[in-house]
Amino acid sequence: MFIKNNKILLIFLTLFSIISIVFVYNDYFLYQESIIHITDIKNKEIKIEGVNEKNYIQTIKGTIKNGPKKGKILTFKHTGSESSVYDELYHKGNDIFVELSNDNETVVMVSGVKRDKYVVVLFVIFVDLILLIAKKKGLLTFLSLIVNIVITGVAIWLYHFNYLKIGILPLFMLVSILFIGLSLYITNGKSKKTFAAIASAISSLFISFGLSFLIFKLYKGNIPFWTMEYVEVIFEYENFFYVSVLLSGLGAIMDISITLASSINELITKNPHIKYHELIKSGKEISKDIIGTMSNVMLFTCWTSIIPMVVLATRNYMSLANAIQYYGEIELIIVLTSCISIVLAIPISLYISALIMHPKKEALK
Amino acid sequence: MILILSTIFLILLIIVGKARGFKTFILFYTSFILIATYILLMKLGFNALAIAIIICLLVSLFTLFGFNGVNEKTKSSFISIMIILIFITILTFLVSKNANIGGFSSDSIESIGGFSYEIGYNMNYVMIGIYLVTSIGTIIDTSISISSALNEVHENNPKLKQKELFESGMNIGKDILATTINTLFFAMISFFIGYFLWHQSETLSLMLNYKSLIQEIIKLFICFIGSILIIPITSYVFSKRILK
Repeated sequence: MFIKNNKILLIFLTLFSIISIVFVYNDYFLYQESIIHITDIKNKEIKIEGVNEKNYIQTIKGTIKNGPKKGKILTFKHTGSESSVYDELYHKGNDIFVELSNDNETVVMVSGVKRDKYVVVLFVIFVDLILLIAKKKGLLTFLSLIVNIVITGVAIWLYHFNYLKIGILPLFMLVSILFIGLSLYITNGKSKKTFAAIASAISSLFISFGLSFLIFKLYKGNIPFWTMEYVEVIFEYENFFYVSVLLSGLGAIMDISITLASSINELITKNPHIKYHELIKSGKEISKDIIGTMSNVMLFTCWTSIIPMVVLATRNYMSLANAIQYYGEIELIIVLTSCISIVLAIPISLYISALIMHPKKEALK
Repeated sequence: MILILSTIFLILLIIVGKARGFKTFILFYTSFILIATYILLMKLGFNALAIAIIICLLVSLFTLFGFNGVNEKTKSSFISIMIILIFITILTFLVSKNANIGGFSSDSIESIGGFSYEIGYNMNYVMIGIYLVTSIGTIIDTSISISSALNEVHENNPKLKQKELFESGMNIGKDILATTINTLFFAMISFFIGYFLWHQSETLSLMLNYKSLIQEIIKLFICFIGSILIIPITSYVFSKRILK
């Protein structure tokens, strides 16, 4: 396979990187919106009485990059603030989306920066690194990521058009089984170990979800659903919250289950005559090492998403405690339930893996 | 609700992990307090990027030396994390500097509507800082897993040369990588589901160009890149230091 040969891999990645980056720097034709490339910019500070903020009038000169007036140079004015909460200040070299007047002569409105190139540059770095560092395993990891993205997309599409005539929660429960099965199968191949990991992950997921569901139903009044993002448009917002709870910890649960399945497999390979209770005892020792920074990963990756909102609120009039409680509580609930399911996954995976992989099982029958 | 869930979390941790479980709980809430402090410092108007870096440093120090003790494993991890932190800061800064990545887009107008936008604080730097703080959790996790596993390998087989130890670190890393990428993806998935349900009836080019989506995608990629790069760096630093 090409991935085993370093030279071919390097050539492939160089070509892939160059083509993607050149493409995204010149993909103006893909857009219906007019795009202007800024060639020159002048900032003039304006003072507004009573406002603790630097505001600027920008005189922007740029070239139209697509549409019938391609190549035409326009000069226009734009106002923005230093803090850029809802407006923006542009820089030389930016490509910006604009709305042109009917005769294509003047700029009516600037709607924002064209950011696809930043995303593509990071994507290229990610693909290059994962393939260079992890080779075949990297390719499989990348594949399983793509599969998961596609499944998510299809699930959203199915829900949107209501093809399956089921609610969002049952839909994503089914989908989560697919996520687990495919992710673990793609990255670990077909083996008893993978099977044990899949079985443990699915049982851990549903046992811990059942537990949190029960707690949430009992103390329903204490969940501030209305502070959730996008709650205004999602009809089943309560179920959407349960979907978030179900899926957020899914990756971490898979992590735990495959780690334990591998360790149990290792123990059995090293000592095929190991007794079941000895296996459980060694497994418990390993479990202690697994508990650790995983809950922190959840806290840092999930909970930090509330920061922009909390900064805006506290820089206004809200106190830190109030802002964190208002904007952070629902996210913290999701993080905590994920942490609970991570901890629960450890003993569940241990027993299920040991049960599935212990060689004496056949003899006991 | 937070109290109920925290109690359950604590009880389960102690049952499964005994003393180490209790330490995990302390670590979790220390990190929580550090993040709250980070926001407080931003409220007070300190430089968003500088405090993000300081918070990352504190989190690393606390997680590595406070939680895992001072030893060769944690020292090597700390050095590697600092190298990655510098790299990620430069990368994030280069990518986001001109991208106007901070602030809110029109799809969050309802949440921010009640506030004044003139806060005198640059949201672009806030966002760059958030990228660093978000990625530090997974970077520490990956790094400590690799150095612990390598330490195990070294103790079982002290004759291994630096190159062999490095190779074995890379092999361990490859296995960790697959699950880390999944963990990160699913940790952020509910945002994407919510986002696409909200924007489902818009045209594709419009749907894909909201700032809120781009912010989240860039965050995901930066976490990915950090957790990949930490693998060779930790393997190298640990294998170099342990055989000195």
